[in-house]
Amino acid sequence: MARYYSFFMVLAVSLFAFPGTLPAKDMVLKKPPASLDKLYPPQSKEPQFIQQMHKMSGSFGGVFVNMKEGDWENAEKKAQAFVEAYEETSKMVPEWKDYFDLKAVKEFAAAVPSRDPAKIGKASGPVGKTCGKCHGEQTVAVWTRYHWPKVDQIKMVDPVTDKELTYGKFMHEISGTFKGVTVNFGEGQYDRSSKALRDFKKRYMELKSTCSKCHTNDAVKEFFVGQPIAEAFDNLARELTAAKPNPGNFWKNVGTIGKLGCKQCHLTHRSYAIIQETWEEE
Amino acid sequence: MKIRIRWIRWSFLLLALAVLAGLALFKLINEQPRLIPAFLVEQVRQPDLLEYPEARRCADCHQEIFEAWKKSRHSLAWVSESYIKNSENRSKEKCLACHVPKEVVPGVKPDPRLQQRDDGIYCVPCHVRNGAMNGPYDLFSPPHPTRKNADYRSSKFCSTCHQKTFKEWSDTGSRQTCQSCHMKRRGGRLTQKFPLNWMHVKREVADHSFPKGDLVTDSLYVQGSFTDAAFMVRLVNTTVPHRVPTADNGDPRLFVQVTFMDEKGGELDGDREILSPQQDTALIYQKPVDLQFFPPTQTQSARIVLRYQPAWGKERSDVVSLTVQR
Ligand code: HEC
Ligand code: HEC
Ligand code: HEC
Ligand code: HEC
Ligand code: HEC
Ligand code: HEC
Ligand code: HEC
Ligand code: HEC
Repeated sequence: MARYYSFFMVLAVSLFAFPGTLPAKDMVLKKPPASLDKLYPPQSKEPQFIQQMHKMSGSFGGVFVNMKEGDWENAEKKAQAFVEAYEETSKMVPEWKDYFDLKAVKEFAAAVPSRDPAKIGKASGPVGKTCGKCHGEQTVAVWTRYHWPKVDQIKMVDPVTDKELTYGKFMHEISGTFKGVTVNFGEGQYDRSSKALRDFKKRYMELKSTCSKCHTNDAVKEFFVGQPIAEAFDNLARELTAAKPNPGNFWKNVGTIGKLGCKQCHLTHRSYAIIQETWEEE
Repeated sequence: MKIRIRWIRWSFLLLALAVLAGLALFKLINEQPRLIPAFLVEQVRQPDLLEYPEARRCADCHQEIFEAWKKSRHSLAWVSESYIKNSENRSKEKCLACHVPKEVVPGVKPDPRLQQRDDGIYCVPCHVRNGAMNGPYDLFSPPHPTRKNADYRSSKFCSTCHQKTFKEWSDTGSRQTCQSCHMKRRGGRLTQKFPLNWMHVKREVADHSFPKGDLVTDSLYVQGSFTDAAFMVRLVNTTVPHRVPTADNGDPRLFVQVTFMDEKGGELDGDREILSPQQDTALIYQKPVDLQFFPPTQTQSARIVLRYQPAWGKERSDVVSLTVQR
């Protein structure tokens, strides 16, 4: 057990809104327990854990829908179905059994036949809290583990050297040639900067070939690797072959690639990769 | 002696009768199948054919089509190594629709199927719809119901999965269907099982190996020329009514490799560009593309080599090669 808990990430979620009134909370992002693997593809054909969640929320919510309609017979049926679904769920992931409060659920089900909305509402409170606590603590971890594809499974072939590299190593190559462009420009070595730019562009555009490994919708390619970036590359090339390159234009286009390209892509894609990597390092 | 002659007569008569019966059956099956009583048809139906049997089952009769399909990339859509790698060991849900389709309804993205996944894109999902084998012909097949469906000879059928290629093709306004290049037809029989095959007329059979199509010098215009400071390569896709290369999720590529040589033919330097659908650099039908290269000053000649790398592998093959003098 300790294996899964020994490596975790701490993300500090500071509650800036109420300095002093509320203590800052830490969020611990642990790798989900191994027993959950069996409930998600590829080990199971269907995402069983999510299906179980729908079963619970369908019956839990069903109690209130029926209550509002005054259909007490069905409200009681849903309450029974909910007790069963909840118990079932509590056994699915042994490491998470403490999140569940079977006593609270039974008390909730026992309150339904009273047909007293206030009493039922009150009894549902502690149950809802068990849902919320687990969601707050585990959803991001589960998304990272089972929904976010692993970037380290993508093997890149460097378009300049034809060498096969991991995605992370390839990023270093990109970063290196980007610096080759800017450093040489700063030194007034426009020829070298120009040559580095050709390699940089090839490497950068190679990223465009990877989108379809995770996305099936081409529209995403308007971001990070789309028209504004292509134009920035063209502008840089033009600037570097001009008789007298204009530094203002040069740095403006470097900025476009850095912000609309590297930075925005990192903000959407890299956090998950960082968490996944941390979990792998055991 | 007499007995023997009589026996010979009888056997002639029987033979003649058998031939007549055969001809009548041939006529019936090929021209008037509706005259065959329904209860007789029911006797010879093999209902399992409509219930997702494995592809091999169709080979009991459609041997040649089966063997062609076996050679096609469609038969490998689920077991392909690169597919397995790119789909995180087949766990990505959104990849299933086109690689293990349940039913091809022309123009509609399929649902994934659970049965016979190893067969990838195979006979049943491409042909079984509404309880019958849909196909290009109006014909009578004893073992399974059939239905003529004009979609089978239109590009729309392929558009179900080759969505981007279809879009590119539509944009060219070409009248040649995908099938006319990737599923060429020739005379033959649909079935090989004796004597069933002789009971059906000869027709045209489409090539189910779905050949990729060869890039040859005439389908591509390639020319190089030196300017003052640069070496320009002009490329035009003159004949293929979609991008070259074309892809949906695969990553086929054409590498344009340029090598510069001095007067003795010694290599000085080189560079290359990638033409690929994923990078939006593939050659658009009849739209010239000019690539710029920078030769060292001592350059006397340049060699241009086009290499093709398929969507499903890393091996590259040379398709075009030419040398240009300064
Ligand atoms: C032990 C932890 C845990 C408990 C307790 C729990 N959940 Fe969940 N629930 C999760 C996780 C983790 C997810 C995210 C699953 C995913 O996206 O793969 C989730 C997702 C959901 C979803 C969204 C499903 C979707 O389609 O994305 C619903 C609805 C839901 N839970 C309802 C409930 C209800 C109602 C309860 C209480 C009665 C409850 N859950 C209790 C862990 C829990
Ligand atoms: C390792 C897998 C992976 C790769 C490679 C990848 N993405 Fe994503 N990306 C995701 C996931 C997962 C999401 C979350 C939403 C989703 O599933 O679409 C996402 C979200 C996005 C979003 C946010 C909105 C949306 O439409 O989903 C954009 C834009 C995006 N990606 C663009 C790109 C581009 C452009 C590339 C290629 C340069 C790329 N991505 C490569 C996994 C990837
Ligand atoms: C398509 C999205 C995308 C774009 C565009 C992108 N990156 Fe990245 N980058 C990533 C992802 C994802 C990682 C995480 C890789 C990993 O953890 O293995 C990463 C990681 C890195 C790293 C750290 C490598 C490591 O060892 O983990 C560096 C450095 C980097 N990127 C530089 C850049 C630069 C510089 C640019 C722009 C010129 C850029 N990246 C553009 C997605 C992108
Ligand atoms: C990707 C979809 C696809 C797959 C897989 C496929 N077919 Fe076809 N089949 C077609 C199309 C399209 C035609 C019509 C071709 C034409 O006539 O232009 C056709 C035609 C036929 C015909 C009519 C004769 C002909 O060639 O036109 C038969 C019989 C047939 N297929 C049997 C099979 C069998 C048996 C298999 C499996 C071994 C199979 N098909 C696999 C799409 C498919
Ligand atoms: C027992 C023999 C037999 C088997 C097994 C069999 N077929 Fe056929 N099939 C036929 C015959 C006979 C024809 C008609 C041939 C003719 O008229 O030329 C036919 C015709 C067809 C046609 C043409 C339909 C049209 O209208 O154009 C298709 C498509 C077809 N079969 C698909 C299949 C598929 C898919 C399988 C496997 C699931 C299969 N068949 C298995 C005997 C068989
Ligand atoms: C159910 C989806 C589907 C349909 C329908 C379909 N294809 Fe495909 N096709 C694929 C997939 C997926 C691949 C790639 C398989 C692989 O290599 O793993 C492919 C591969 C091919 C290839 C080989 C490409 C290569 O790189 O060598 C050709 C050619 C082809 N299809 C032509 C056609 C034609 C023509 C039609 C219409 C008659 C058609 N396809 C209908 C999904 C489909
Ligand atoms: C005039 C003949 C012709 C027509 C029509 C045609 N293609 Fe092609 N196709 C080719 C040739 C030649 C190649 C090989 C060149 C190449 O690599 O692009 C090819 C290659 C392909 C490939 C392999 C990937 C690649 O480009 O290397 C696929 C997939 C494909 N075609 C699908 C289709 C589809 C789908 C249609 C109909 C929408 C279609 N083709 C129409 C001639 C044709
Ligand atoms: C809309 C239909 C469709 C979907 C969805 C789809 N593919 Fe494909 N795939 C194709 C077609 C068509 C081809 C044939 C070649 C081409 O067009 O790239 C193909 C070819 C491929 C190839 C190259 C052939 C091979 O065997 O290596 C790979 C890899 C691939 N797909 C991976 C994926 C992955 C991973 C996903 C999910 C992210 C996916 N595909 C989803 C239609 C689809």
